[in-house]
Amino acid sequence: MIHNFNYHRATTVQESLSLLEKFKEDYKIICGGQSLLILMRQGLVAPENLVDIKSVKEMSYIDYDPKKGLKIGAATTHREIEKSPEIKKNYPVLVEMEENLASVQTRNWGTIGGNLAHGDPASDPAPILIAMTATVKLANTNGERSLLLEDFFVDIFETALEEGELLIEIQVPVPLKKSAVAYEKFNIIKNHQGIVSVAASITMAEDGIGCKDARIVLGAAAATPLRAGEAEQMLIGKKIDTKLLASVGKKASEECDPVSDIHATETYRRALVKALTIKIMKKAWEQAKTSGRVGGKHT
Amino acid sequence: MKKKLVHLTVNEEYHELYISPRKLLVEILRDELDLTGTKRGCSTGSCGACTILLDGAAVKSCSVLAVQVDGAKVTTVEGLADGAGLTPLQLSFLDHGAFQCGFCTSGMLMSATAFLNEDPVSEDIKKGIQGNICRCTGYNSILRAIRAVAEGKYEDEGR
Amino acid sequence: MKKHTYTVINTPIHNIDGIAKITGRAEYTFDITLPRMLHGKILRSPYPHGEIIHIDTSKAERLKGVKAVLTGKDTLGRKQGIWRRFKELCDEEILARDKVRYIGEPVATVAAVDEDTAEEALDLIEVEYNALPGAFEPLEAIKEGAPQLHEHAERNINVTRHIEWGDVDEGFKKADYVREDWFRCSSQAHVCMETHCAVADYTPEGKLTVYTSTQSHYYIKVLLAEILGLRENDVRVISRYTGGGFGSKFELDSAQFCCSILSMKLCQPVKIVLTREEEFSATKRRTPMFYYIRSGVKKDGAFLAKEARVFTEGGAYTAMGATALYLTGFFQSFPYVWPSYRYDGYRVYTNTAPTSAMRGFGAPQATFCAETQIDLIADELGIDPIDIRRKNAMYPGYEVPGQATIQSCGLGQCLDKIDDWIKSRGKLPPNRGIGVSAYGFMSGGIFNWFDTPYAFSSAVLQINIDGKVDLFVGSQDMGQGSNTTMAMICAEELGVKVEDIRLHMGDTETCPVDLGAWGSRETLMQGNAVKMAASKAKQQILEFATAKLAPNIVYDLDIKDGWIHLIARPERGLSFYDVVKEAIRGKDGQPIIARGHYTPHRKGMISPAYSFGVQAIEADVNPDTGKITLKNCVTAHDCGQVINPLGVEGQLEGAIAMAAGYGFTEDLPMDEGKILNPNLVDYMLLRATEMPETKVMEVETYEPEGPFGAKEAGEGLTNPTAGALGNAVFHATGISIKNLPITPEKVLNALKEKKNK
Ligand SMILES: Cc1cc2nc3c(=O)[nH]c(=O)nc-3n(C[C@H](O)[C@H](O)[C@H](O)COP(=O)(O)OP(=O)(O)OC[C@H]3O[C@@H](n4cnc5c(N)ncnc54)[C@H](O)[C@@H]3O)c2cc1C
Ligand code: FES
Ligand code: FES
Repeated sequence: MIHNFNYHRATTVQESLSLLEKFKEDYKIICGGQSLLILMRQGLVAPENLVDIKSVKEMSYIDYDPKKGLKIGAATTHREIEKSPEIKKNYPVLVEMEENLASVQTRNWGTIGGNLAHGDPASDPAPILIAMTATVKLANTNGERSLLLEDFFVDIFETALEEGELLIEIQVPVPLKKSAVAYEKFNIIKNHQGIVSVAASITMAEDGIGCKDARIVLGAAAATPLRAGEAEQMLIGKKIDTKLLASVGKKASEECDPVSDIHATETYRRALVKALTIKIMKKAWEQAKTSGRVGGKHT
Repeated sequence: MKKKLVHLTVNEEYHELYISPRKLLVEILRDELDLTGTKRGCSTGSCGACTILLDGAAVKSCSVLAVQVDGAKVTTVEGLADGAGLTPLQLSFLDHGAFQCGFCTSGMLMSATAFLNEDPVSEDIKKGIQGNICRCTGYNSILRAIRAVAEGKYEDEGR
Repeated sequence: MKKHTYTVINTPIHNIDGIAKITGRAEYTFDITLPRMLHGKILRSPYPHGEIIHIDTSKAERLKGVKAVLTGKDTLGRKQGIWRRFKELCDEEILARDKVRYIGEPVATVAAVDEDTAEEALDLIEVEYNALPGAFEPLEAIKEGAPQLHEHAERNINVTRHIEWGDVDEGFKKADYVREDWFRCSSQAHVCMETHCAVADYTPEGKLTVYTSTQSHYYIKVLLAEILGLRENDVRVISRYTGGGFGSKFELDSAQFCCSILSMKLCQPVKIVLTREEEFSATKRRTPMFYYIRSGVKKDGAFLAKEARVFTEGGAYTAMGATALYLTGFFQSFPYVWPSYRYDGYRVYTNTAPTSAMRGFGAPQATFCAETQIDLIADELGIDPIDIRRKNAMYPGYEVPGQATIQSCGLGQCLDKIDDWIKSRGKLPPNRGIGVSAYGFMSGGIFNWFDTPYAFSSAVLQINIDGKVDLFVGSQDMGQGSNTTMAMICAEELGVKVEDIRLHMGDTETCPVDLGAWGSRETLMQGNAVKMAASKAKQQILEFATAKLAPNIVYDLDIKDGWIHLIARPERGLSFYDVVKEAIRGKDGQPIIARGHYTPHRKGMISPAYSFGVQAIEADVNPDTGKITLKNCVTAHDCGQVINPLGVEGQLEGAIAMAAGYGFTEDLPMDEGKILNPNLVDYMLLRATEMPETKVMEVETYEPEGPFGAKEAGEGLTNPTAGALGNAVFHATGISIKNLPITPEKVLNALKEKKNK
């Protein structure tokens, strides 16, 4: 049963921020409501005031600039990202990810900002965006601040958003030459949340042989999306081969901190992290070798 | 808690409704407008039985507050065809036996309608109904029914 | 086999409820609103085992909008159950008075002006429990000293069953190879898309009308009358559309009972709809089973002796569990010729949600274990999986000693077809395998534990002046399409069009008794009753027609497509519609009325007829993650004469989705009696994206006991899939998982173990 609340619809960022400021003590932001309404129905969340930002038009956009990179408004729906020709061309892995996120219905209404602000360690966009070194722009009535997305996640369902703060934009840098990002989630039912997921980005050295930079980001393998830092280090400056990838996978599986639940034991999650890391690194590596762009499908 | 005035155009009929903000769109459709063709099968946004078209896009009406869609155009299964008519998709569902108990059918039809309106040729039909659970049919008859329409087999039909 | 030509039978007919369903006009119980209707909710026990010390409802009663709060103390305190012939098996009160035995057991119920108020009131009811230690696993609960659920059941043994024929010990002595295995079969939720729901409307005249989503309005009427202390025919049960059943909706449930007592108290309609969470955690479910099987065979694969023992997790009450216990034992031997067989089944009470009937009724569990073991035996002996099955397959005329006589049986042809298909697949890529499983099922049960004095199925038919036929049936369409099947059988027998039939069903006040849609009984049993009624009506019409046509006495008449004619000279005839008009006039204005009925007599212990089939599943196993991907599912199926090809195809594909779910994704894990995944996020149902390509190959036989030679095509199809899937994994990887569901984690662990060996 959804408890009573006062409903406030904002139509601009300014209006949203003033409402947040006004109800400081007791409010909840709703955008698509795809995650929030489930919690409200269970009575787990029962705010006095509900601030609706779904119709804030100025927070719904996709901007791509070949020099500055990609900017996505927080209220942009999953479906808009999935269908964006710009994103398909420059960040195809994002489209691929979106196609496997929940259902068409949820993607039509749920937003990227809501997804990230929800702070679910099993979020699909989070690991990819972290692998792409994305930043998020947060705002309150006093101004704005930027944060690396990897610093945005604090704990399970907990983010760096402070009282009165709104997530307004996600920024993704221009893909580097000879780099690629790949992603996969493991699940039994295709578009369910991942039991674990792995995103990997690889940037090849100028010589096209060595690995200049690497990021491995694990989803549902800890309380927050997690960078497997030691595993990444094993790659940097090295020539990648199957043997190295096997030990990188092993390292990632040791670094993560997964839980046991009805879907998988901790041991199994670690095994999955290992298998997926090897597979995804290999995919990213192969694409990076041949590609000038992220995702590597379009050279 | 104050009731809110909400304007909705449902199946091309305009309504002004005073509603409690905590009401879900599905509750308004079923309880206020008597459009019981739209079903509910869960409380976690998982089953798709409540799927409707919101400004043309398939959305789960159990996962949207009615106040949030003030001013929107909604289509439910009752609005698919006029009068005694049937859409090509509905005819195809009959021909292919694409339902059994029928409880998921409204939601399936709405998802499939949205899918067919978009880009039926290049897309995988399975993805179009991925958000809808059917416990009876095993989906394949539904996929055949949608495919037949996507392939134009019902172009001149519909009554 | 005699070839039959039919006009209606075996043509793909549109479902007669189709237009209502695809336009959203079909009104399910879930959609019903009556004037002055209240909404009810049920308070459920949070303890798996405990005594109810005290319930204080006063705060809830004072909440604005609450109209009534009732507990077990407000009922007659009668225990009910569907095994009415055996009083000790009627063990469930529905609203517990003194003791709760599972998490989710109802303890109080509220009626209020709306659902939210009723829900709020639940929070205000104070129940004081004395928590007791629980017994959760059958193998533990049966031990001496385990917490006991019911006074009458020592060591928690609820029901035992024994089946035996031949000399089993002698058989094992003669065997060249003996193999024993333990299996664990998991639970499964029915997950009807329409959750259990009911609207009760009691009026001061003393009449109770209950609209409900059910598989048997007759059972619900009788059970309600009994527990409420009403006369059977003061209760009317109406069930026009049912949003899925699968075995979960033919026992009296908490929604039906609670809204009835609330309505009787208030003389106002009350509606209760269970939430999805209640549906998962507090309605009945598939019976988990621990199976021990020992089989003895000859070197050449000939079966000699089999011994099976099963311990089933009964949950807190008997429900339909006693039937499942018998059927699983019987179908453990199916569809093979075992010269000797011994089965012992124990149903054990546990502090978990009761387990009961679910599509396949104990047979999917049995078939999974049996078929997995057969492949292991074949592998050990170096025999092809198809060959070993062929060697031991049942055949027409085979008598299962003391149990059943098989009349039609197309198992041999099914094996041939599947064999051909497997060969056509050629060499498979690595980590891919094809597994097969044979199966069979009953076409309606013969047992009468319900103790009905009525025929098992009845039909009434009336032909009106315009030739339109009113057909009244007791069968319940829950999606399986029996309404269409009955209309088709009637149309074929009478020689008219399906459009000429106006079907009346789902109302105990207007329809004759039928036991309902379970045990795959409708096509054969209700079908026979309909056919008899139609045949009697036809006879009346032909008498008039004969008088009019005055043919030579050696000629026979028939009706096809509304044309009454001489069989030998089809052009000589009369319009059915014209004859009906005159016949009615001739009967002093009485419409033509006929009745039909069916009760199996002298048909063995189980069923009058059996379906057969073989299924092959092709699947990939990912060696790094253990994930299984279904590729193909091919089934050769003998359901006798197909009545409606659209219907059979739908049953088959639906069964595959449900049974594959049972095989590898669906489960109800528990912690001390608490179901851990009571929602559709964590309970994993297959979706369109997980469905393999499906192909059906019909093997037509003619079943003498069935209408037009038909037999069941509903439940049997849930039997083979888990076994075929497990065998596919076995042939892909060499590992055999004996513990359902076959999750990727189990597969990966087994692969690791195999590697370490
Ligand atoms: C059936 C189902 C399946 C799903 N499967 C997946 C999946 O496979 N992968 C996946 O990644 N996700 C999945 N999700 C989650 C879903 O993608 C996201 O949670 C959803 O898109 C959130 O967006 P929203 O706009 O609906 O957020 P809301 O539900 O409106 O909000 C979510 C949270 O974010 C806060 N919030 C929203 N917007 C902002 C903002 N701009 N600033 C600050 N706080 C904000 C809200 O207060 C709330 O706490 C699934 C959800 C459902 C219902
Ligand atoms: S009711 Fe299940 S998704 Fe809306
Ligand atoms: S037809 Fe019954 S759930 Fe789909």
